[in-house]
Amino acid sequence: MSELMKGNFEVKRKLDVPDVSDDSADFKNEFKKKALESIGGSMVFVEREMLFWESTESADGE
Amino acid sequence: MMSHHGVSPEFQGIMDEITSIGLDWHSETLVENSKRNKPFIAKSIKDIASPQQKKAESAIIISAGPSLYKNNILARIKDSGYEGSIVAIDGSYVRCLKAGLIPDYVLTLDPHPTRIVRWFGDPDFESNLKGDDYFSRQDLDIAFRNNSNEENRRNIELVNRHGKDQKLVICSSAPMNVVERTEAVGFDAYWWAPLVDNPGSPGSLTRAMVNETKLPAMNTGGTVGTAAWVFALTALKIPRIAVVGMDLGYYKADTGYQLTQTYGPLKDKVGEDNLKDVFPEFTYPDTDEVFYTDPTYYWYRCNILDLLAASKSTLYNCTGGGTLFGDGVVCVGIDEFCAGF
Repeated sequence: MSELMKGNFEVKRKLDVPDVSDDSADFKNEFKKKALESIGGSMVFVEREMLFWESTESADGE
Repeated sequence: MMSHHGVSPEFQGIMDEITSIGLDWHSETLVENSKRNKPFIAKSIKDIASPQQKKAESAIIISAGPSLYKNNILARIKDSGYEGSIVAIDGSYVRCLKAGLIPDYVLTLDPHPTRIVRWFGDPDFESNLKGDDYFSRQDLDIAFRNNSNEENRRNIELVNRHGKDQKLVICSSAPMNVVERTEAVGFDAYWWAPLVDNPGSPGSLTRAMVNETKLPAMNTGGTVGTAAWVFALTALKIPRIAVVGMDLGYYKADTGYQLTQTYGPLKDKVGEDNLKDVFPEFTYPDTDEVFYTDPTYYWYRCNILDLLAASKSTLYNCTGGGTLFGDGVVCVGIDEFCAGF
């Protein structure tokens, strides 16, 4: 929207526009940063049931 | 499905963020490191000789939570003359050596490029230390908090002395400096790929790593201690497995919320008066001691409980504290476990 409304002229004095990102996004970013700093010895984890897996392709030596 | 403990929706929402944080942070590194490590991969965990006799009957996984020191666990294991298998994680390895307890296996998985090598004695200690206060904050082995060059030098010597031919269970995503350091020491390395998602899913990271390396994949539960339990259960096929030092939380009596890493953003989010909602408390059944957890530790806790349910096995928790109890977990004293109760 700001692109559409900015007009077709240049202003002489530049304005400092505050970042208006919402609080929730700020929290997530800050939490994410702190969590990344704190988790050691860690790994991605999505799969919650399979404990061990071996590809049949690998076993066949492909 | 995660195993929960009646936490608030607010806490649940925060915890759900952890999975995406891990994916954002690690996904590229995991596959890149696995590709890059291929020239070093000579043996996999399938090449490890099956443990024999007492070593095949039971195992102790040594994680590195503060209870390890508070409860004098390492000395108690050593004094018991325990003859089962011992699996140390990278963060407890030096501590084991200092206690005169030589593990049968050491497991490492984290791909962090500068931190993990420190557990093996870091040849680039000073440059890797710059701008990182991880070790001065961590509560695993307080000897590491001082960031002392002298301590690191002693650790290098200790690992050099004991690491040769020591069985190392190393993840394909390990950082280059850990690979180089452990190879220089002469560890006997057995490789595996991390099972992080369903290999049948489109775009699976697990499948990509396995295709690159031809390694078997083991689930990690998101953390090195859980990976060590999965290793003992699935690769060594040991039926009775205990964990020690697996606190997955903080001692309420010793550690204020402000000492936890996520205190600042959580306080801003919920306010000082509501902090209890995001640091849920647990009373350890055997001692009635109170612990609390944060989103990261609670995530680890849910993960291991889910994997435990999936495995249909029993885990003996000899930590003597912390938050790990629930279905499939039997809390028992370490002396009792070592005596083969």
